[in-house]
Amino acid sequence: MVVGAINDGGILYGLLAVGAGLATGLAGIGAGVGEQGIGAAVVGVVAEEPGFLGKGLFLMLLPETLIIFGLAVSLILMFAWTPFA
Amino acid sequence: MSRVVVAGSKDVLPPVIEKLHELRLLHIVNYNGSQPDFELGKPIGKAKEYSEDLIKLRSVTRYLDIKTKAAEVQYPESQVLSEMDNLLNNVGGEVTSTFERITQIDAEVKTKQDQINAMRPLAVLPLDLEDLYGYESVAVFVGTVSSPVDADVAKVSPVNQIYSGSSKTANVVAVFVPASKAGEVAPVMSEHGFSEISVPKLQGSVDAAISTLEGEIKSLEGEKAPLVKKLGDIKKQYEDLFLATDEYLSMQTQKTEAPLRFAETENAFVIDGWVPTAEFSNLKSGVESAAGGRVDVELLDDKEAENLVEAGEDVPTQIRNPGLVRPYELITRLFAIPEYKEFDPSLLIFVFFPIMFGMILGDIGYGVMIILALLLLKKKFRTDGWQQLINIVLIASVWAIVFGAIFGEVFGPLGLWGKLFGHLSEAQIEALKAAGTYFGEGVYGSLGRLGPLGVLPMDRLATNAVLMLIGISIFIGVIHTAVGSILGIKTELNYGEKKHAYFERLPVLLFQVFFALALLGLVMGQMALVAVGGVIIVISIVMMVMGPEGPMGLAHVPFYVSNLISYLRLLAIGLASVGLAFAANQLAFYVIMPMLSGGSESPTIPAIIAGIVILTVVHFINMLLGILSPFMHPLRLHYVEMFTKFYSAHGGGVEYSPFGHVRRYLKA
Repeated sequence: MVVGAINDGGILYGLLAVGAGLATGLAGIGAGVGEQGIGAAVVGVVAEEPGFLGKGLFLMLLPETLIIFGLAVSLILMFAWTPFA
Repeated sequence: MSRVVVAGSKDVLPPVIEKLHELRLLHIVNYNGSQPDFELGKPIGKAKEYSEDLIKLRSVTRYLDIKTKAAEVQYPESQVLSEMDNLLNNVGGEVTSTFERITQIDAEVKTKQDQINAMRPLAVLPLDLEDLYGYESVAVFVGTVSSPVDADVAKVSPVNQIYSGSSKTANVVAVFVPASKAGEVAPVMSEHGFSEISVPKLQGSVDAAISTLEGEIKSLEGEKAPLVKKLGDIKKQYEDLFLATDEYLSMQTQKTEAPLRFAETENAFVIDGWVPTAEFSNLKSGVESAAGGRVDVELLDDKEAENLVEAGEDVPTQIRNPGLVRPYELITRLFAIPEYKEFDPSLLIFVFFPIMFGMILGDIGYGVMIILALLLLKKKFRTDGWQQLINIVLIASVWAIVFGAIFGEVFGPLGLWGKLFGHLSEAQIEALKAAGTYFGEGVYGSLGRLGPLGVLPMDRLATNAVLMLIGISIFIGVIHTAVGSILGIKTELNYGEKKHAYFERLPVLLFQVFFALALLGLVMGQMALVAVGGVIIVISIVMMVMGPEGPMGLAHVPFYVSNLISYLRLLAIGLASVGLAFAANQLAFYVIMPMLSGGSESPTIPAIIAGIVILTVVHFINMLLGILSPFMHPLRLHYVEMFTKFYSAHGGGVEYSPFGHVRRYLKA
């Protein structure tokens, strides 16, 4: 039965979906860890000097690219990579 | 910008300052006192009086809570002058004394309120208030305890008198012991969780004292109400005049204190500054005629100006854009004022930012709702900053509606659009598939719809649409970063840095464009394109190594790749918001409503109500998120991916702010 499922791609497609989820999710955790320190520092600086807000925001958003990488991998897995087609 | 020097006899300083202030052309460079023959100037005229009046006025406006707002009436200066004395002394004195009385009343009410709160637990004791204080040889402990203290107190102080009582919330005791025993009793009390109540020095029973205090509070508040109303009336009557007077005094202080920024000798003054080159003749003729020819306005030649800039003087940058673009200057300013020779990117932001915002949000329903909400907010928040911010989102929301039509979304897919236009039939889907223009069959199943444009309302959640949007996002990214790189080359050439232009900025442009082209070739199976792309990528990397940074320049290569991938957020964030909208519609139309109507086709009344509630709540939340992230992320794409390509790291420029004042409440 398992062999049959693998052959028609059922389980593997499921694993693919799990992998895609992990890619985005873990990347999200990574970005979050990166942002927590920056965010705290930026809030501190902005409290002292409001003019820093723009640059602070910019620094704050830097690690967000990580999620996009994870998402790119997910999108490729879910949409572009079709090993069972 | 041209560098000018205004020099003249001190006799004509007041008319020169007056004229400069009126012309609003000269960006003054502050004199730093570095020349031995020149001193810093001193304030002229009634500078001290003006600033004292200003302080007085500001304190009164603070009491009245007057804030700057759009001007309703403009006053002539003569009227302000004639009413100023009355305003500052009579009205101001009245306001100050009224405000002080209100503060005093508030303080008294607070004290009495605190006394009431402290006394309330004491009502359970069978004692009057005056019994609880004022002894010399007796120590009194009044407060709450967590357990009975009688036995333990008796152990350390056989002579004692203890009263206790308990209410719903606490056990209250009053313990009287000889003063000599107080030191020993105190620790015993604290073992029982004693917490002291400070007894107000009042007479009579607790209940009577409380009702007396409450009566007093009431009469104080009765006195306060008309005072507050009086302040409100004064504010209503004089608000605009206060603002006009504030403006008049600020202008006068600005003028009288201006010489602090000039260089002076015993008989002469020198003002340094920058003026837009085209306006120089206006400045010269204006100032010279005001001073009756006893002043010299001279233009420094380019070489002298260049030397001053080399020595560290900033050339001010005049930011000037057409009206529609002006709100987007806010985004530029938030990052940094461009230097004089740099490009002002506001126009580019005006082009790209709304498109990006629209592509992410992409929903007719949300777009219209946001526009309506913003039009309301526009009336409410009248300060410049808010108006600019609102205009930015307003323009961007128009694009959200355009993209909403392309994506066929009205409050999400599956929503109104499907209801209005229906779904494609099997035969139509087959025909589209045959023509190769079918976007359906995503992970969420087929959502093929019929729109006014036939095929165009594509479905963002369908596989082919996602793939296509990935391509479009990267394509926008390539254009966006390429424009940035081209500007970078131009800026470096403006500064005369040829090496930086051709070996630092140009390779980045080549790398990013041909990296994307090679990727496209890979996807389309055009190996020739991949080969060309590969060759040019290698060439660009070689150029980077030859550039000013040397082999270290290679370290940036991953950054340039990630730059492009970063543009995927245009698709990704949009998908997240479509997903939520989809879930809301699915839940309401296809789960909750059929469930509540017992599975029948026509929904019952409670089912419709439940559906409306769900739709409103989820779409409202989604729309709030739908303003925030489509705003923040394109902002990041501009700041990180684009601005870094051409903004120098020199640390921003100085904005051209000519000496003078824009009148808001005063008639010119």
